Amino acid sequence: MNEATTATQEVPAEIERFDIIFRIQHVVMFTTFLLLSFTGWGIKYAHAPHGLSSIWIRVWGGADMAGLIHRIAGVAMLLDFIFHVIYLGYLFATKKMTINLKTTVIPLPKDIFDVVQNFMYFLGLSKKKPRFGKFSYAQKFDYWAVFWGMFIIGFSGFALAFPMLVSYIIPQIASEWIWQLLWLMHSDEALLAIVFILFWHFYNEHLKPEVFPMSWIWITGRISTEKLKHHHPIEYEHLFPEAAKKNKKH
Amino acid sequence: MSNNRLLVIVAPLLFLTLLLLPRPVLCQESANCLACHSAMKGRIKTASGALVELNVDAEKFNASMHGSLSCSDCHIRFSDNPHTTPSSGVPQTVLSLSTRISSKFKIDPVAGAACITCHEETYKKVLESVHGKNIVDKHQPDGALCLDCHGSPHYIKPAKDEDSPVGRKHQVETCGKCHGNEKIIEKYKLEENVMESFQESFHGRKLFLGHTKAPACSNCHNAHDIRSKNDPESPVFGKNKLVTCGKCHKGANEKFVPAITHKRPGPIPHYGEKLLIILTIGVFAFIVIHVLLEAFSDIRDAIFRKKEEEE
Repeated sequence: MNEATTATQEVPAEIERFDIIFRIQHVVMFTTFLLLSFTGWGIKYAHAPHGLSSIWIRVWGGADMAGLIHRIAGVAMLLDFIFHVIYLGYLFATKKMTINLKTTVIPLPKDIFDVVQNFMYFLGLSKKKPRFGKFSYAQKFDYWAVFWGMFIIGFSGFALAFPMLVSYIIPQIASEWIWQLLWLMHSDEALLAIVFILFWHFYNEHLKPEVFPMSWIWITGRISTEKLKHHHPIEYEHLFPEAAKKNKKH
Repeated sequence: MSNNRLLVIVAPLLFLTLLLLPRPVLCQESANCLACHSAMKGRIKTASGALVELNVDAEKFNASMHGSLSCSDCHIRFSDNPHTTPSSGVPQTVLSLSTRISSKFKIDPVAGAACITCHEETYKKVLESVHGKNIVDKHQPDGALCLDCHGSPHYIKPAKDEDSPVGRKHQVETCGKCHGNEKIIEKYKLEENVMESFQESFHGRKLFLGHTKAPACSNCHNAHDIRSKNDPESPVFGKNKLVTCGKCHKGANEKFVPAITHKRPGPIPHYGEKLLIILTIGVFAFIVIHVLLEAFSDIRDAIFRKKEEEE
Protein backbone atom coordinates (compact mmCIF):
# COMPACT_ATOMS: atom_id res chain seq x y z
CA MET A 1 0.00 0.00 0.00
CA ASN A 2 1.14 3.49 -0.76
CA GLU A 3 1.68 5.94 2.11
CA ALA A 4 1.07 8.94 -0.15
CA THR A 5 -2.62 8.44 -0.66
CA THR A 6 -4.61 11.43 -1.75
CA ALA A 7 -6.49 13.60 0.67
CA THR A 8 -9.79 12.63 -0.86
CA GLN A 9 -9.31 9.01 0.09
CA GLU A 10 -12.60 7.22 0.54
CA VAL A 11 -12.90 4.91 3.50
CA PRO A 12 -14.85 1.80 2.45
CA ALA A 13 -17.31 0.13 4.79
CA GLU A 14 -15.18 -2.98 4.94
CA ILE A 15 -11.89 -4.32 3.65
CA GLU A 16 -10.63 -7.76 2.74
CA ARG A 17 -8.55 -9.28 5.47
CA PHE A 18 -8.02 -12.82 4.11
CA ASP A 19 -8.42 -13.77 0.47
CA ILE A 20 -10.38 -16.84 -0.61
CA ILE A 21 -7.24 -18.98 -0.90
CA PHE A 22 -6.27 -18.28 2.71
CA ARG A 23 -9.82 -18.99 3.81
CA ILE A 24 -9.81 -22.37 2.07
CA GLN A 25 -6.48 -23.19 3.70
CA HIS A 26 -8.04 -22.38 7.05
CA VAL A 27 -11.04 -24.64 6.42
CA VAL A 28 -8.80 -27.53 5.42
CA MET A 29 -6.62 -26.84 8.44
CA PHE A 30 -9.40 -26.93 11.01
CA THR A 31 -11.26 -29.84 9.43
CA THR A 32 -8.15 -32.00 9.46
CA PHE A 33 -7.23 -30.67 12.88
CA LEU A 34 -10.54 -31.79 14.33
CA LEU A 35 -10.33 -35.21 12.69
CA LEU A 36 -6.77 -35.67 13.91
CA SER A 37 -7.64 -34.55 17.43
CA PHE A 38 -10.67 -36.79 17.71
CA THR A 39 -8.97 -39.92 16.40
CA GLY A 40 -5.63 -39.19 18.08
CA TRP A 41 -7.24 -38.62 21.45
CA GLY A 42 -8.46 -42.21 21.44
CA ILE A 43 -5.00 -43.70 21.06
CA LYS A 44 -3.28 -41.19 23.35
CA TYR A 45 -5.61 -42.19 26.16
CA ALA A 46 -6.15 -45.77 24.96
CA HIS A 47 -6.10 -47.07 28.52
CA ALA A 48 -8.65 -44.60 29.85
CA PRO A 49 -10.81 -46.14 32.57
CA HIS A 50 -13.97 -48.10 31.76
CA GLY A 51 -12.83 -48.69 28.17
CA LEU A 52 -14.01 -45.19 27.31
CA SER A 53 -11.47 -44.87 24.55
CA SER A 54 -12.52 -48.15 23.00
CA ILE A 55 -16.06 -46.86 22.85
CA TRP A 56 -14.87 -43.53 21.46
CA ILE A 57 -12.77 -45.26 18.80
CA ARG A 58 -15.76 -47.38 17.82
CA VAL A 59 -17.57 -44.13 17.01
CA TRP A 60 -14.89 -43.58 14.39
CA GLY A 61 -15.39 -47.00 12.85
CA GLY A 62 -12.95 -49.00 14.94
CA ALA A 63 -9.21 -48.76 15.44
CA ASP A 64 -8.35 -49.66 11.84
CA MET A 65 -10.62 -46.98 10.42
CA ALA A 66 -9.60 -44.40 12.99
CA GLY A 67 -5.98 -45.03 12.05
CA LEU A 68 -6.77 -44.59 8.38
CA ILE A 69 -8.69 -41.36 9.03
CA HIS A 70 -5.80 -40.08 11.12
CA ARG A 71 -3.28 -40.78 8.37
CA ILE A 72 -5.38 -39.28 5.58
CA ALA A 73 -6.18 -36.18 7.62
CA GLY A 74 -2.53 -35.88 8.62
CA VAL A 75 -1.30 -36.00 5.04
CA ALA A 76 -3.99 -33.53 4.01
CA MET A 77 -2.94 -31.14 6.75
CA LEU A 78 0.73 -31.40 5.79
CA LEU A 79 -0.17 -30.70 2.16
CA ASP A 80 -2.26 -27.75 3.29
CA PHE A 81 0.73 -26.42 5.23
CA ILE A 82 3.12 -26.91 2.33
CA PHE A 83 0.63 -25.22 0.04
CA HIS A 84 0.41 -22.30 2.45
CA VAL A 85 4.17 -21.81 2.37
CA ILE A 86 4.24 -22.06 -1.43
CA TYR A 87 1.36 -19.60 -1.69
CA LEU A 88 3.19 -17.15 0.57
CA GLY A 89 6.25 -17.56 -1.64
CA TYR A 90 4.11 -16.80 -4.68
CA LEU A 91 2.62 -13.69 -3.05
CA PHE A 92 6.06 -12.39 -2.17
CA ALA A 93 7.55 -13.24 -5.55
CA THR A 94 4.79 -11.35 -7.37
CA LYS A 95 5.00 -8.47 -4.84
CA LYS A 96 1.35 -8.98 -3.94
CA MET A 97 2.54 -9.15 -0.40
CA THR A 98 5.40 -7.19 1.08
CA ILE A 99 6.79 -7.13 4.56
CA ASN A 100 5.63 -4.05 6.42
CA LEU A 101 6.15 -3.70 10.15
CA LYS A 102 2.58 -2.45 10.58
CA THR A 103 0.92 -5.35 8.83
CA THR A 104 3.33 -8.21 9.21
CA VAL A 105 2.60 -11.38 11.12
CA ILE A 106 6.28 -11.72 11.99
CA PRO A 107 6.82 -11.34 15.75
CA LEU A 108 8.46 -8.04 16.67
CA PRO A 109 9.81 -6.57 19.94
CA LYS A 110 6.67 -4.44 20.01
CA ASP A 111 4.64 -7.57 20.63
CA ILE A 112 6.41 -8.13 23.93
CA PHE A 113 5.59 -4.59 24.99
CA ASP A 114 2.01 -5.15 23.86
CA VAL A 115 1.77 -8.23 26.08
CA VAL A 116 3.07 -6.26 29.06
CA GLN A 117 0.76 -3.35 28.26
CA ASN A 118 -2.21 -5.65 27.92
CA PHE A 119 -1.51 -7.35 31.25
CA MET A 120 -1.22 -3.92 32.86
CA TYR A 121 -4.59 -3.08 31.38
CA PHE A 122 -6.13 -6.36 32.57
CA LEU A 123 -4.85 -5.72 36.08
CA GLY A 124 -6.06 -2.14 36.10
CA LEU A 125 -2.54 -0.73 36.27
CA SER A 126 -2.98 1.15 33.04
CA LYS A 127 -6.01 2.58 31.29
CA LYS A 128 -4.50 2.31 27.85
CA LYS A 129 -5.02 -0.78 25.73
CA PRO A 130 -2.13 -1.72 23.47
CA ARG A 131 -2.61 -0.61 19.87
CA PHE A 132 -2.25 -3.39 17.35
CA GLY A 133 -1.25 -3.57 13.73
CA LYS A 134 -2.86 -5.99 11.32
CA PHE A 135 -2.08 -8.84 13.67
CA SER A 136 -2.18 -8.53 17.44
CA TYR A 137 0.30 -10.58 19.42
CA ALA A 138 -2.52 -13.00 20.21
CA GLN A 139 -3.11 -13.54 16.50
CA LYS A 140 0.60 -13.86 15.79
CA PHE A 141 0.83 -16.43 18.55
CA ASP A 142 -2.10 -18.28 17.02
CA TYR A 143 -0.47 -18.23 13.61
CA TRP A 144 3.01 -19.32 14.63
CA ALA A 145 1.69 -21.99 16.94
CA VAL A 146 0.52 -23.76 13.79
CA PHE A 147 4.03 -23.53 12.36
CA TRP A 148 5.48 -24.97 15.54
CA GLY A 149 2.84 -27.68 15.46
CA MET A 150 3.49 -28.50 11.84
CA PHE A 151 7.21 -28.86 12.41
CA ILE A 152 6.97 -30.85 15.62
CA ILE A 153 3.71 -32.79 15.24
CA GLY A 154 3.53 -32.82 11.47
CA PHE A 155 6.96 -34.16 10.77
CA SER A 156 6.99 -36.59 13.68
CA GLY A 157 3.57 -37.77 12.54
CA PHE A 158 4.83 -38.28 9.03
CA ALA A 159 7.75 -40.32 10.39
CA LEU A 160 5.40 -42.43 12.49
CA ALA A 161 2.94 -42.98 9.66
CA PHE A 162 5.63 -43.89 7.13
CA PRO A 163 8.41 -45.28 9.30
CA MET A 164 9.97 -47.38 6.58
CA LEU A 165 10.39 -44.41 4.30
CA VAL A 166 11.81 -42.26 7.06
CA SER A 167 14.08 -45.01 8.40
CA TYR A 168 16.32 -44.58 5.37
CA ILE A 169 17.10 -40.98 6.18
CA ILE A 170 17.64 -41.18 9.92
CA PRO A 171 21.23 -41.67 11.04
CA GLN A 172 22.22 -45.04 12.49
CA ILE A 173 23.17 -43.64 15.91
CA ALA A 174 19.79 -41.95 16.30
CA SER A 175 17.77 -45.06 15.50
CA GLU A 176 17.96 -46.29 19.10
CA TRP A 177 16.07 -43.37 20.56
CA ILE A 178 14.58 -41.33 17.76
CA TRP A 179 11.37 -43.36 17.44
CA GLN A 180 10.54 -42.97 21.06
CA LEU A 181 11.35 -39.26 20.89
CA LEU A 182 9.19 -38.84 17.79
CA TRP A 183 6.33 -40.57 19.49
CA LEU A 184 6.62 -38.49 22.63
CA MET A 185 6.90 -35.31 20.58
CA HIS A 186 3.87 -36.20 18.53
CA SER A 187 1.75 -37.10 21.51
CA ASP A 188 2.77 -34.32 23.90
CA GLU A 189 2.72 -31.52 21.37
CA ALA A 190 -0.61 -32.72 20.02
CA LEU A 191 -2.04 -32.30 23.49
CA LEU A 192 -0.51 -28.84 23.64
CA ALA A 193 -2.06 -28.01 20.28
CA ILE A 194 -5.50 -29.16 21.40
CA VAL A 195 -5.27 -27.25 24.66
CA PHE A 196 -4.02 -24.21 22.77
CA ILE A 197 -6.90 -24.28 20.31
CA LEU A 198 -9.45 -24.97 23.02
CA PHE A 199 -8.38 -22.08 25.22
CA TRP A 200 -6.56 -19.54 23.10
CA HIS A 201 -8.18 -19.79 19.72
CA PHE A 202 -11.64 -20.57 21.05
CA TYR A 203 -11.60 -17.70 23.49
CA ASN A 204 -10.18 -15.15 21.11
CA GLU A 205 -12.22 -16.07 18.05
CA HIS A 206 -15.39 -17.56 19.53
CA LEU A 207 -16.11 -16.87 23.17
CA LYS A 208 -14.96 -13.29 23.56
CA PRO A 209 -18.07 -11.17 24.09
CA GLU A 210 -17.31 -9.00 21.08
CA VAL A 211 -17.03 -11.94 18.65
CA PHE A 212 -19.40 -14.50 20.15
CA PRO A 213 -20.44 -16.97 18.72
CA MET A 214 -17.54 -16.55 16.31
CA SER A 215 -15.64 -14.11 14.22
CA TRP A 216 -17.15 -14.39 10.76
CA ILE A 217 -13.97 -13.36 9.00
CA TRP A 218 -13.16 -17.02 8.34
CA ILE A 219 -16.15 -17.16 5.94
CA THR A 220 -16.46 -13.62 4.60
CA GLY A 221 -12.78 -12.75 4.74
CA ARG A 222 -13.85 -9.18 5.34
CA ILE A 223 -13.64 -6.87 8.32
CA SER A 224 -15.58 -3.65 8.74
CA THR A 225 -13.42 -0.56 8.88
CA GLU A 226 -15.18 0.32 12.12
CA LYS A 227 -13.85 -2.87 13.69
CA LEU A 228 -10.53 -2.39 12.01
CA LYS A 229 -10.19 1.05 13.59
CA HIS A 230 -11.02 -0.38 16.95
CA HIS A 231 -9.01 -3.60 16.96
CA HIS A 232 -6.20 -2.84 14.54
CA PRO A 233 -5.69 0.92 14.82
CA ILE A 234 -2.15 0.88 13.46
CA GLU A 235 -3.28 -0.95 10.34
CA TYR A 236 -6.21 1.44 9.98
CA GLU A 237 -3.93 4.45 10.15
CA HIS A 238 -1.63 2.77 7.72
CA LEU A 239 -4.41 2.12 5.21
CA PHE A 240 -6.36 5.33 5.65
CA PRO A 241 -3.94 7.95 6.95
CA GLU A 242 -6.14 10.88 5.92
CA ALA A 243 -9.24 9.58 7.59
CA ALA A 244 -7.25 8.73 10.68
CA LYS A 245 -5.82 12.24 10.88
CA LYS A 246 -9.27 13.76 10.54
CA ASN A 247 -10.57 11.57 13.32
CA LYS A 248 -7.79 12.69 15.58
CA LYS A 249 -8.54 16.34 14.97
CA HIS A 250 -12.16 15.85 15.99
CA MET B 1 -43.30 -97.50 -3.31
CA SER B 2 -40.07 -98.18 -5.06
CA ASN B 3 -36.78 -98.13 -3.20
CA ASN B 4 -35.64 -95.13 -5.17
CA ARG B 5 -38.59 -93.02 -4.22
CA LEU B 6 -38.20 -94.01 -0.62
CA LEU B 7 -34.63 -92.82 -0.75
CA VAL B 8 -35.63 -89.50 -2.25
CA ILE B 9 -37.96 -88.87 0.65
CA VAL B 10 -35.91 -90.32 3.45
CA ALA B 11 -32.46 -89.04 2.52
CA PRO B 12 -33.24 -85.32 2.90
CA LEU B 13 -35.11 -86.05 6.10
CA LEU B 14 -32.12 -87.92 7.45
CA PHE B 15 -29.85 -85.14 6.38
CA LEU B 16 -32.01 -82.52 8.08
CA THR B 17 -32.14 -84.60 11.24
CA LEU B 18 -28.36 -84.75 11.21
CA LEU B 19 -28.20 -80.99 10.85
CA LEU B 20 -30.53 -80.49 13.76
CA LEU B 21 -28.72 -82.92 16.04
CA PRO B 22 -27.09 -81.17 18.98
CA ARG B 23 -23.34 -81.31 19.49
CA PRO B 24 -22.11 -84.78 20.36
CA VAL B 25 -23.17 -85.30 23.90
CA LEU B 26 -20.83 -86.37 26.65
CA CYS B 27 -19.50 -89.84 26.25
CA GLN B 28 -20.81 -92.41 28.69
CA GLU B 29 -17.70 -92.40 30.86
CA SER B 30 -17.53 -88.63 31.22
CA ALA B 31 -21.22 -88.65 32.09
CA ASN B 32 -20.53 -91.13 34.85
CA CYS B 33 -17.73 -89.05 36.34
CA LEU B 34 -19.61 -85.80 36.00
CA ALA B 35 -22.66 -87.25 37.70
CA CYS B 36 -20.73 -86.64 40.90
CA HIS B 37 -18.12 -84.07 39.95
CA SER B 38 -20.51 -81.57 38.44
CA ALA B 39 -22.41 -81.53 41.73
CA MET B 40 -19.39 -81.54 44.05
CA LYS B 41 -18.12 -78.28 45.38
CA GLY B 42 -14.90 -77.18 47.04
CA ARG B 43 -11.43 -78.55 47.27
CA ILE B 44 -9.80 -81.37 49.17
CA LYS B 45 -6.27 -81.90 50.30
CA THR B 46 -4.45 -84.94 48.99
CA ALA B 47 -1.95 -86.96 51.01
CA SER B 48 0.88 -85.01 49.31
CA GLY B 49 -0.64 -81.76 50.54
CA ALA B 50 -1.94 -80.47 47.22
CA LEU B 51 -5.41 -79.03 46.90
CA VAL B 52 -7.69 -80.62 44.34
CA GLU B 53 -10.61 -78.76 42.87
CA LEU B 54 -13.44 -81.22 42.85
CA ASN B 55 -15.98 -79.43 40.75
CA VAL B 56 -16.11 -79.79 36.99
CA ASP B 57 -18.78 -77.69 35.34
CA ALA B 58 -20.45 -80.21 33.03
CA GLU B 59 -21.97 -77.60 30.75
CA LYS B 60 -18.77 -75.66 30.26
CA PHE B 61 -16.80 -78.86 29.82
CA ASN B 62 -19.20 -80.10 27.18
CA ALA B 63 -18.94 -76.80 25.31
CA SER B 64 -15.15 -76.76 25.47
CA MET B 65 -12.73 -78.00 22.85
CA HIS B 66 -12.18 -81.09 24.98
CA GLY B 67 -15.87 -81.81 25.54
CA SER B 68 -15.83 -84.92 23.41
CA LEU B 69 -12.95 -86.53 25.26
CA SER B 70 -13.57 -88.98 28.01
CA CYS B 71 -12.06 -88.29 31.43
CA SER B 72 -9.66 -91.20 31.35
CA ASP B 73 -8.18 -90.03 28.04
CA CYS B 74 -6.15 -87.66 30.18
CA HIS B 75 -6.63 -88.98 33.70
CA ILE B 76 -5.14 -92.29 32.63
CA ARG B 77 -4.06 -93.22 36.09
CA PHE B 78 -4.87 -92.00 39.55
CA SER B 79 -2.02 -92.12 41.96
CA ASP B 80 -3.68 -91.08 45.14
CA ASN B 81 -7.44 -91.02 45.30
CA PRO B 82 -10.60 -92.90 45.94
CA HIS B 83 -10.91 -94.13 42.34
CA THR B 84 -8.56 -97.09 42.31
CA THR B 85 -9.31 -98.25 38.80
CA PRO B 86 -6.46 -97.66 36.42
CA SER B 87 -8.33 -98.32 33.24
CA SER B 88 -5.33 -99.15 31.12
CA GLY B 89 -1.58 -98.96 31.10
CA VAL B 90 -0.05 -95.54 30.70
CA PRO B 91 1.79 -95.16 27.37
CA GLN B 92 5.55 -94.97 27.79
CA THR B 93 5.87 -91.49 26.29
CA VAL B 94 3.29 -90.07 28.65
CA LEU B 95 4.75 -91.85 31.63
CA SER B 96 8.30 -90.66 31.07
CA LEU B 97 7.11 -87.14 30.35
CA SER B 98 5.08 -87.14 33.53
CA THR B 99 8.19 -87.71 35.62
CA ARG B 100 9.97 -84.84 33.86
CA ILE B 101 7.19 -82.37 34.54
CA SER B 102 6.36 -83.58 38.02
CA SER B 103 7.56 -80.34 39.61
CA LYS B 104 4.53 -78.67 38.04
CA PHE B 105 1.90 -81.27 38.82
CA LYS B 106 1.60 -82.26 42.43
CA ILE B 107 -1.73 -84.00 41.85
CA ASP B 108 -1.77 -85.79 38.54
CA PRO B 109 1.40 -85.46 36.45
CA VAL B 110 0.18 -88.15 34.09
CA ALA B 111 -2.82 -86.04 33.14
CA GLY B 112 -0.48 -83.10 32.66
CA ALA B 113 1.65 -85.18 30.35
CA ALA B 114 -1.31 -86.70 28.54
CA CYS B 115 -1.71 -83.58 26.41
CA ILE B 116 1.14 -84.96 24.33
CA THR B 117 -1.08 -87.80 23.08
CA CYS B 118 -2.95 -85.40 20.83
CA HIS B 119 -0.71 -82.30 20.82
CA GLU B 120 2.59 -84.04 20.24
CA GLU B 121 4.31 -81.50 18.06
CA THR B 122 3.19 -78.55 20.15
CA TYR B 123 4.19 -80.19 23.40
CA LYS B 124 7.65 -80.99 22.06
CA LYS B 125 8.07 -77.36 21.06
CA VAL B 126 7.12 -76.29 24.56
CA LEU B 127 9.62 -78.70 26.13
CA GLU B 128 12.35 -77.18 23.98
CA SER B 129 11.26 -73.65 24.83
CA VAL B 130 12.52 -71.47 27.64
CA HIS B 131 9.30 -72.17 29.53
CA GLY B 132 9.59 -75.93 29.06
CA LYS B 133 13.26 -76.17 29.95
CA ASN B 134 12.64 -74.27 33.13
CA ILE B 135 10.38 -77.07 34.28
CA VAL B 136 12.05 -80.09 32.73
CA ASP B 137 15.66 -79.15 33.46
CA LYS B 138 15.41 -76.85 36.45
CA HIS B 139 12.31 -78.47 38.00
CA GLN B 140 10.78 -75.14 38.93
CA PRO B 141 7.22 -75.29 40.26
CA ASP B 142 6.29 -71.77 39.17
CA GLY B 143 7.23 -71.85 35.50
CA ALA B 144 4.66 -71.84 32.73
CA LEU B 145 3.32 -75.01 31.18
CA CYS B 146 0.13 -75.73 29.22
CA LEU B 147 -2.44 -74.84 31.87
CA ASP B 148 -0.76 -71.66 33.06
CA CYS B 149 -1.53 -70.03 29.76
CA HIS B 150 -4.51 -72.00 28.48
CA GLY B 151 -6.42 -72.22 31.73
CA SER B 152 -8.23 -75.29 32.95
CA PRO B 153 -8.02 -78.21 30.51
CA HIS B 154 -11.70 -78.84 31.17
CA TYR B 155 -12.78 -75.52 29.69
CA ILE B 156 -10.32 -74.98 26.84
CA LYS B 157 -11.62 -72.58 24.23
CA PRO B 158 -10.35 -72.02 20.72
CA ALA B 159 -7.77 -69.23 20.63
CA LYS B 160 -10.12 -67.23 18.40
CA ASP B 161 -12.73 -67.15 21.16
CA GLU B 162 -12.99 -63.82 22.97
CA ASP B 163 -12.76 -65.50 26.34
CA SER B 164 -9.70 -67.58 25.57
CA PRO B 165 -6.83 -66.58 27.83
CA VAL B 166 -4.43 -66.89 24.91
CA GLY B 167 -6.67 -65.05 22.42
CA ARG B 168 -6.01 -61.51 21.28
CA LYS B 169 -8.17 -60.00 23.97
CA HIS B 170 -6.65 -61.65 27.02
CA GLN B 171 -3.23 -62.81 25.90
CA VAL B 172 -1.35 -59.83 27.28
CA GLU B 173 -2.83 -60.17 30.75
CA THR B 174 -2.16 -63.90 30.66
CA CYS B 175 1.54 -63.37 29.93
CA GLY B 176 1.47 -60.56 32.48
CA LYS B 177 0.55 -62.96 35.25
CA CYS B 178 4.24 -63.84 35.33
CA HIS B 179 5.95 -61.13 33.28
CA GLY B 180 4.30 -58.41 35.30
CA ASN B 181 4.88 -60.20 38.60
CA GLU B 182 7.74 -58.66 40.54
CA LYS B 183 8.68 -61.84 42.38
CA ILE B 184 8.91 -63.87 39.18
CA ILE B 185 10.76 -61.08 37.38
CA GLU B 186 13.30 -60.91 40.18
CA LYS B 187 13.67 -64.66 40.49
CA TYR B 188 14.27 -65.29 36.80
CA LYS B 189 15.93 -61.94 36.06
CA LEU B 190 13.34 -61.12 33.41
CA GLU B 191 13.12 -57.84 31.52
CA GLU B 192 11.25 -55.73 34.04
CA ASN B 193 9.40 -53.13 32.05
CA VAL B 194 7.68 -55.52 29.68
CA MET B 195 4.03 -54.96 30.52
CA GLU B 196 4.22 -51.19 30.93
CA SER B 197 6.23 -50.66 27.77
CA PHE B 198 3.87 -52.80 25.75
CA GLN B 199 0.80 -50.99 27.02
CA GLU B 200 2.45 -47.66 26.26
CA SER B 201 3.54 -48.73 22.80
CA PHE B 202 1.57 -48.23 19.61
CA HIS B 203 1.14 -51.99 19.41
CA GLY B 204 -0.34 -52.22 22.88
CA ARG B 205 -2.63 -49.24 22.47
CA LYS B 206 -3.96 -50.44 19.15
CA LEU B 207 -4.47 -53.97 20.39
CA PHE B 208 -6.36 -52.62 23.37
CA LEU B 209 -8.57 -50.50 21.11
CA GLY B 210 -9.40 -53.53 18.99
CA HIS B 211 -7.17 -52.93 15.99
CA THR B 212 -7.37 -56.10 13.94
CA LYS B 213 -3.72 -56.14 12.91
CA ALA B 214 -2.00 -55.00 16.08
CA PRO B 215 0.24 -57.72 17.48
CA ALA B 216 -0.08 -59.38 20.86
CA CYS B 217 2.90 -60.97 22.66
CA SER B 218 2.97 -64.18 20.66
CA ASN B 219 3.05 -62.43 17.28
CA CYS B 220 6.64 -61.35 17.91
CA HIS B 221 7.84 -63.76 20.58
CA ASN B 222 6.13 -66.96 19.33
CA ALA B 223 3.83 -68.98 21.49
CA HIS B 224 4.86 -72.54 22.24
CA ASP B 225 8.46 -72.29 21.06
CA ILE B 226 9.15 -69.17 23.05
CA ARG B 227 12.80 -68.44 23.72
CA SER B 228 14.90 -66.11 25.80
CA LYS B 229 15.75 -62.87 24.03
CA ASN B 230 19.40 -63.94 24.42
CA ASP B 231 18.83 -67.19 22.53
CA PRO B 232 20.10 -66.83 18.96
CA GLU B 233 17.03 -68.72 17.78
CA SER B 234 14.64 -66.25 19.39
CA PRO B 235 12.62 -64.25 16.87
CA VAL B 236 13.57 -61.08 18.72
CA PHE B 237 17.29 -61.87 18.90
CA GLY B 238 19.55 -59.50 16.96
CA LYS B 239 18.97 -59.68 13.26
CA ASN B 240 16.07 -62.09 13.58
CA LYS B 241 14.04 -58.98 14.33
CA LEU B 242 14.32 -57.99 10.68
CA VAL B 243 12.31 -61.09 9.76
CA THR B 244 9.94 -60.84 12.71
CA CYS B 245 9.10 -57.17 12.24
CA GLY B 246 9.04 -57.79 8.49
CA LYS B 247 6.04 -60.08 8.89
CA CYS B 248 3.90 -56.94 9.18
CA HIS B 249 6.27 -54.11 8.26
CA LYS B 250 7.49 -55.03 4.80
CA GLY B 251 11.08 -53.97 4.26
CA ALA B 252 11.88 -53.60 7.96
CA ASN B 253 15.50 -52.52 8.22
CA GLU B 254 18.04 -52.11 10.98
CA LYS B 255 17.13 -48.53 11.62
CA PHE B 256 13.46 -49.35 11.84
CA VAL B 257 13.45 -52.31 14.22
CA PRO B 258 14.66 -50.43 17.33
CA ALA B 259 11.35 -48.53 17.18
CA ILE B 260 9.69 -51.14 19.38
CA THR B 261 11.50 -52.26 22.49
CA HIS B 262 10.61 -53.17 26.05
CA LYS B 263 13.52 -51.16 27.40
CA ARG B 264 12.87 -47.98 29.32
CA PRO B 265 13.33 -44.81 27.30
CA GLY B 266 16.93 -43.64 27.11
CA PRO B 267 18.10 -40.24 28.38
CA ILE B 268 17.29 -38.34 25.18
CA PRO B 269 13.61 -39.26 24.95
CA HIS B 270 13.34 -39.09 28.74
CA TYR B 271 14.67 -35.54 29.10
CA GLY B 272 13.18 -34.58 25.76
CA GLU B 273 9.78 -35.40 27.17
CA LYS B 274 10.49 -33.46 30.36
CA LEU B 275 11.32 -30.42 28.23
CA LEU B 276 8.14 -30.81 26.22
CA ILE B 277 6.11 -31.12 29.39
CA ILE B 278 7.65 -27.92 30.77
CA LEU B 279 6.88 -26.20 27.49
CA THR B 280 3.30 -27.47 27.52
CA ILE B 281 2.71 -26.41 31.11
CA GLY B 282 4.35 -23.05 30.47
CA VAL B 283 2.21 -22.29 27.43
CA PHE B 284 -0.85 -23.63 29.16
CA ALA B 285 -0.26 -21.42 32.19
CA PHE B 286 0.26 -18.37 30.01
CA ILE B 287 -2.84 -18.82 27.90
CA VAL B 288 -5.13 -19.72 30.78
CA ILE B 289 -3.99 -16.74 32.85
CA HIS B 290 -4.23 -14.48 29.82
CA VAL B 291 -7.71 -15.65 28.88
CA LEU B 292 -9.03 -15.42 32.43
CA LEU B 293 -7.58 -11.95 33.03
CA GLU B 294 -8.90 -10.74 29.72
CA ALA B 295 -12.35 -12.10 30.46
CA PHE B 296 -12.38 -10.43 33.87
CA SER B 297 -11.21 -7.15 32.44
CA ASP B 298 -13.93 -7.34 29.79
CA ILE B 299 -16.51 -7.84 32.50
CA ARG B 300 -14.99 -4.99 34.51
CA ASP B 301 -15.10 -2.71 31.49
CA ALA B 302 -18.69 -3.64 30.73
CA ILE B 303 -19.82 -2.79 34.23
CA PHE B 304 -17.62 0.06 35.43
CA ARG B 305 -16.14 1.70 32.40
CA LYS B 306 -19.09 1.86 30.08
CA LYS B 307 -18.93 5.63 29.86
CA GLU B 308 -15.32 5.73 28.88
CA GLU B 309 -16.04 3.33 26.03
CA GLU B 310 -18.72 5.61 24.64
CA GLU B 311 -16.50 8.67 24.56
